[in-house]
Parts: sequence; structure tokens; C-alpha cells
Amino acid sequence: MRSLVRELWFFTRSPAAVAAIIVLALLSSVAVTLGMAEIARERASIARVLQMQAVEDQALIDYAGDAGTFAYADFRPTWNAPSDLAFAALGQRDTAPSILRVRPLALEAQIYENEQRNAELALPGRFDLAFVAIYLAPLVVIILLHDLWSGEREAGRLHALRALPRAAWRVFLPRTGARAVLVGAAVLVPFLVGATLEGAPPAKALLFASATVGLLAFWTVLVVIVARFGSRSTVSAAVLAGLWFALTLVGPAATNLVVNAAVPTPDGALLARQNRDAVHGAWDLPRQETLDRFLELYPEWSDTEPMTEPFHWKWYFAFQQLGDVAVADVSTAYRDGVERREALAGLAGWLMPPVGFQRIMHRAAETDVEAQLAYQDRVRVFHTRLRTFYYPYLFEDRPFGAAEYALGPRFDDGPAEVVSPEEEAP
Amino acid sequence: MRRILRIAAEEMRLMSRTRTAWLGLIALVLLSSIAAATSLAHVAGERAARMEHQTAADQAFEAQPDRHPHRAVHYGTYVQRPVSPLAAFEPGVDPFTGTTLFLEGHRQNSATFGAMRESSGLIRFGQLTPAFVLQTLAPLLLIFLGFSTVARDRETGVFRQLGLHGARAAEVLAGKALALGTVGLIALAPALVSLATAAATTPAEMASAALIGGAYAVYLAIWVLVVVAVSSLARSSRGALLGLVAVWAVAVVLVPRGAAAIAAQAEPAPTRVEMDLLLAQDARRIGDSHNPDDPFFAAFRVRTLRAYGVERVEDLPVNFRGLVAAEGEALTARLFADYARRTADRQRAQSAWLQAGAMLSPALAVRQASMAGAATDLENHIRFLEQAEAYRFDLVQRLNRLHAQGVRAEDDAARSRDLDAERRTRVSADTWATLPDFQFRSATPGQRVSGMLPGLAILAGWLLAAIGLFVFAGRQLRQVAG
Repeated sequence: MRSLVRELWFFTRSPAAVAAIIVLALLSSVAVTLGMAEIARERASIARVLQMQAVEDQALIDYAGDAGTFAYADFRPTWNAPSDLAFAALGQRDTAPSILRVRPLALEAQIYENEQRNAELALPGRFDLAFVAIYLAPLVVIILLHDLWSGEREAGRLHALRALPRAAWRVFLPRTGARAVLVGAAVLVPFLVGATLEGAPPAKALLFASATVGLLAFWTVLVVIVARFGSRSTVSAAVLAGLWFALTLVGPAATNLVVNAAVPTPDGALLARQNRDAVHGAWDLPRQETLDRFLELYPEWSDTEPMTEPFHWKWYFAFQQLGDVAVADVSTAYRDGVERREALAGLAGWLMPPVGFQRIMHRAAETDVEAQLAYQDRVRVFHTRLRTFYYPYLFEDRPFGAAEYALGPRFDDGPAEVVSPEEEAP
Repeated sequence: MRRILRIAAEEMRLMSRTRTAWLGLIALVLLSSIAAATSLAHVAGERAARMEHQTAADQAFEAQPDRHPHRAVHYGTYVQRPVSPLAAFEPGVDPFTGTTLFLEGHRQNSATFGAMRESSGLIRFGQLTPAFVLQTLAPLLLIFLGFSTVARDRETGVFRQLGLHGARAAEVLAGKALALGTVGLIALAPALVSLATAAATTPAEMASAALIGGAYAVYLAIWVLVVVAVSSLARSSRGALLGLVAVWAVAVVLVPRGAAAIAAQAEPAPTRVEMDLLLAQDARRIGDSHNPDDPFFAAFRVRTLRAYGVERVEDLPVNFRGLVAAEGEALTARLFADYARRTADRQRAQSAWLQAGAMLSPALAVRQASMAGAATDLENHIRFLEQAEAYRFDLVQRLNRLHAQGVRAEDDAARSRDLDAERRTRVSADTWATLPDFQFRSATPGQRVSGMLPGLAILAGWLLAAIGLFVFAGRQLRQVAG
């Protein structure tokens, strides 16, 4: 303990080292502040949408008179509320929408909508605490520890220090520990303040903090190994900077290329076109034929009257659903392709600790690709609830008005278990 | 001059005897080649796929059977943002924007799909492209090769010997900078070759490509000057290395992300859904075509009847439903244009923050110039959205005119109940081929060059600052060498 205090005191005598820690702590605090502001904006945006939806509801009630007209224009909001840890790892929340309104028409034409953000802001990557921890903190570890032995040798003190009994225990270990702990504190103290303010669940916060500690421990060990065997400070520093740059920049970028090449996904543009053609083709087919195909999938409505006129809303919503069924396989393959890419990236995380630990952080914050896919799954479940809510009114020609409209599902009031489009279509 | 060359040659000979220098050089040449080759292959595939999709979408539109024109309005069509010729070198925002846009009546959709929605989280670590190699990795290589170039000489006393031989400090620094720059060029050749290859396929790109090449040459020259100057000013090699890596981390990694975060904070953008809802409210405020008593459409009816000199809608020589559809479309299209302009303005204001960040980071400056020159920047995406919207409006209005003139009003009114009337409302299948296809007009070379100017100007400022630092280092060195 005494040696730890001594090392901390030594540390304060080195202005450059102190400056590095202070800058790191400042950047962490800025990242936490910006992250919290971003999350607050997203929450406010979701709240505003839910508020504005009331106006839309009223407008729809004022003009629609039957179930079909209601259903056609019944866009209901779904949202992917940020978790209480999202402030620390903003992840994919800038490119994927956090709010999506869906109506009971073919979902495949609605679910791939993008958010209209400025892509030039997404290009450099996010500035969040995960970035500070993954990119910047390791550089500070390298700066503080790369000359652990060579620095003493170059100062001519190494032999004297080595002559001390148990030098490793009394000098180098406390010194490494003191410096690593300071770096960790510079990242984690702002994180804990943010997590407390956001009211993050302790278990998730602990997971995030452990990932930070794990990453810093990895770098500390790596730096100590290189520093132990490096003959000169300069060589150690260059080797470590090279390792940092291979593991944090080049490796992940190259892996991304490999992963995307190894796992092809179905073509999105083709999927969209096939869905549209399947939907619109119904206008040129005999009405009853389309309705019958739908009734095979949903026999509970078999008692419905046959089609006698060129148009009926039940037929309209039947072919919308058939359009989704027609591309269900492709749609599932598309989703699974993205998920497999994400899984492969997870394997790469074992080889590249910065990737692995960042994935843990994004998982804890629920801002990763997996979380986006889970949101899409919830949207699918909700869409099913919404369209099936209308089926009795459509297929039994039941009257529909404001009272019935109010019975419709809300995104936050129902089950969220996952139903894949395949299972959904018997 | 001859002395500068001799010092440069000596420096390169020295580097050629250092294992780490070779290692770094080989690593970068390899990376640079891999980036160039994969990017070229990827972009070629992407270009072919998008062209194929565009053709297929156009063919599908033309292959529609006999249809009611309003069906075609809802059938709609897809447009693809074409891949810019220089995207193999600098993909810019291409992977971060949707590429497929569905155009239909009454609605403005977002561009969907795109690499960022189809990739793992790894895409956010950066993409291995020639531009990434030049912007991000090249400065690090220059730092590794050059941090000790002067500091070492001073530590080992070589510099004093050089001084005895009458070499002036400025000449020594110039020679070292020349050597470092030459080695840097060798390492970066593959990236520059990929730029030339991308440009060679389209002669119109030559001017932009040359300017982009020039911008990167200036960018790397800035780093060479800074590396040599810091190596000369630092008290030790280690100090030079740590200082330069810190400068690199700030300029290349920290500032671009920080500027983007600040831009998003300073110019907060509402979500697309919020904009949609506001637009829907505005549209209802102006006119609601579903409401028979709506004043906007009632006035339109009066205007129309007067223009045709008839008393009743039934006496019009054209189908009034088609006219209402066209009027409604014109109303929403005005709102779409207004909202799209507001969104674009806000995004431009955000990008202005990045330009302000370029004052702190030459990497941002060179990226801005390179994306503008390659037509892979935000501006290009906005152009695509604007042109697609103009095309959408034109296409829908052509169909609405067909609706007004080619579909009899009585049939139109009865089409939901009467199969024969429904059949008569369909216009002939050969009509679809007479409608124009979407042609994206990319920024002209002149527009692109002027788009590059802000980035180039800031880069020029950086070059002057770097020269200033270099000269200052030369003066300091002279004093040390005495």
C-alpha cells in the first residue's frame, strides 16, 4: 500500500503524465455529457411523436367512415426507446430509425425506412464514452507505461532499482497498478456519474464498466510485456502504437470487408421490388382467387362473403398480406444474413480485444446491430397485431368508428415475443 | 540544392538499413494495395448491381398491363443512386446513405437499404478504402518513419558533424523532409494508382481526380513537414514520437468525431417521423381532398368550372377526379419540397461545423475536398433526393393527366362496383413506355471543383502553417548547432 501511495506521489511529479490523465478525464466527461444530451433529444423526439399522434388520430376519426378506410390510413408509431446506458455507447442509433410508423399494409414496404440523418456526421464514427475507452484510453496507457523499465535504464536508475529486494513487487507492480488505475478512473468516474444520473440498472452498468476494465487490463498487460522486453523506450513506444493501430483501426476495417464478403445477404432492392410486384399484381388477377389464397392461410375468415365487386377492402388487405408472404423467405434470409455478419464480427472480437470489448459495451447499452434487429422484430409483432385487429371488421363487414379505433393495439401494450415472418405464415 | 539531395539520399540509405522502416513500408504498401483492389472490386460490383436494379425497375414499370393511371401512381417506381466514378477511391457517405428510393404518389419515402444497415457493427470502425489509407494511416506511417529523423542525429551527435561540414540547418531539414516524402510516396502509390484507375474509366473525371490527388499530396506534405519539424524541436526521439502520435490522434481520430457530435448537438435535426407528422398537419391545414366541404378544393372546383365555362362537374370535358388528384399532388409536392429544403439546409449547417473542425484537423479538410471532388459527399446525396423528387412529381402528374384525359368520369365513378366500368378505366399497356426514365445528373466538373474549394482553402492554410513550423524548427536547430 505504501508503495502505491509513493507511486501516486511520483506520478503527480510528472506534468505530462498528469496532463494526459486530466485530458482523458475531460474527454470522458464531454463524451458522457454529449451522449446524455443525444439520448435526451431522442427521448424528447419520441415523446413529441406520441403527442402529435393524437392529432393524427383525431384527423383520421374525422374523415374515415369504415374499417377499410381507417386501416388504410392507420399509421401507428413504434419506437425503440434508448436504454439507460445508451448514453455511454450510442452505437447504431444514428443510422437506424428509432421511431417508425407502420400501417396494416404490406410491412416489407415499410420496415426498411431509414432515418434522414446527415451521413457526413455518421462517417467519422460516434463520439461517446465507448470511443474514449476503446480508442483514447489505450493510447494513454501506452504513453504512461511504455518506458516502465527502459525509462529507468535511460535515466541510469535501473540497476539501483533492480538491486532492491523484490524490486518487481515494490516498484514496477505498484507503478503499473497506480497508472492503470488512474486511466481507468478517468474513464469510469464520468461513466458512473452518467449512469447514476440516467438511473441505469446496476447489473448493466457493471457489465459496461467491466468491459472497460477488461480492455484496459488487456492493454496494460500488453504494454508491460512489450516494455519488459523493449530495449529502448522509443522502440517500445513505436511497437505499441503499431499494435494499437493494427488492433483498433486496420484489423476491424479489414475484418468488415472479409465478413461482408463471406456472408452475402439477399439484395434489398430486389426484395422491395418483388414485394411490390406481388402486392400490385393482385389488381390484375381475379379477385376471388386472391381472396381464396389468403383464406387458405387464415381459415378463420372462410365464412366471409365471396367477392362480387371489383373492390372490397378485405380483398385489399388480403393481398397486402400475401405480398409479405411472397417474400417472407427472402426477408428472413436478409435479416439472418445481417445477424450472421454480426455473429462473425463477434468471433473477430476474440482475436481483436478492442472489437470484442466494444461489442460488450454496445450490447450492455442495447445499441448494437442485434438491438436494431430486435426492434425490427418487435415492429413485425406489432404489425401483425395491428392488421389482425382489423380482420374481424373487414371480413365480417362490421361497422368501425371512433370507439373501435380506440380498441386498436398500441406498441407499448402488448407482447413483444419474436415471430419470424416464416412462422407467421403457416 | 545538391547538398539537400545528398542529405536526402543519406537519410534514405539509413532508413533502408532499419528493419522497422521496411516493416512499416511493406505493411502500408500491402494495406494500400489490398484497399485499392477490394474497393475497386466492391464498387464495380455495386455499380453493376445498381444499374441492373435501375434497368429492372424501369422495365417493370414499362411492362405494366392495361391499368388505371392511378394504379400506376401507386405501383410507382424505384430509383437507384448511381455509384460515382471515383467512389472506388473515396466512397464518402455512400455506405451511410440509403441507395434505393421508392417513388409513388402522395408520399415521399426515404432512401432505403445501404451498406450501414446490412453490415455488422464493424463498419463503424472505418472502412479499408484508398482514401482511408491516405487520410488516416499514411500520416501514422510518416510519423513512424520520421519521428527520430532529426532527434536521433542530435542524440548521437551526428548533427554537430554535419554542422562542421558546413551543412545549414535548413538544408538538413529539407533533405530529411525530401527523404521522408519520397518514401511516403512509394508507400502510397497503390492508393494513388487506384485514383488514376478510377479516373481513367471516365475522362470527365480527370480534372477532379487530379485535384483530389493534389489535395492528398498537400495533405501528406503537411504531415512530412510537421513530422520533421517536431522531430527537430523535440528534446528526445521519444518525446517526438509521443508528441506526434498525440497530434495524430487528435487531428485524425478525435476532432472528426468531436466535430460531428458537436454539429449534431448545435443543429439538432428532428426525426423523419416528426417531419412527416408536421407535414401531414400542414397539408390538412391547406386543403384536404378527402373532405367534400374543404375550402381549398371547393375553390379549385369553382376555378375549374369557370375555366371550362360549364356549370356542373359532370359537364366537364375531362375527368374531374384526375384534376383533383393533380391539384392534391401539387399541394403535397410543394410541402415535400419545402420540408426537404429545410432538412437539407439543416444538414448543410451541420456539415459547416465539420468545416470549422477542419481548422483543427487537416484530415477533415482533405476529406471534405476529396468527397466533394469524388461526388460522394452529402451534397451529392441531396442532389439525388432532389432530382428523384422532381422526377417523382413529373411522373405522377403525367399519370394524373392521363387520369383526367384518358379515363371517362362515369366509368371512374363506377369502377369499384362495376367490373366492365373498371375494365374501361384501364389505359393501354403501351402507354407506360412513353413515360420518361429517371436519369441522375451528377454534379458537373465545375460544380465539383467549386465544392472542393473550402476544403482546399483550409488545406492551403494548413500548408502555410506547417511551412511556418518547419522554418521555425530550422531556426531553432541552427541555434542549437551554433
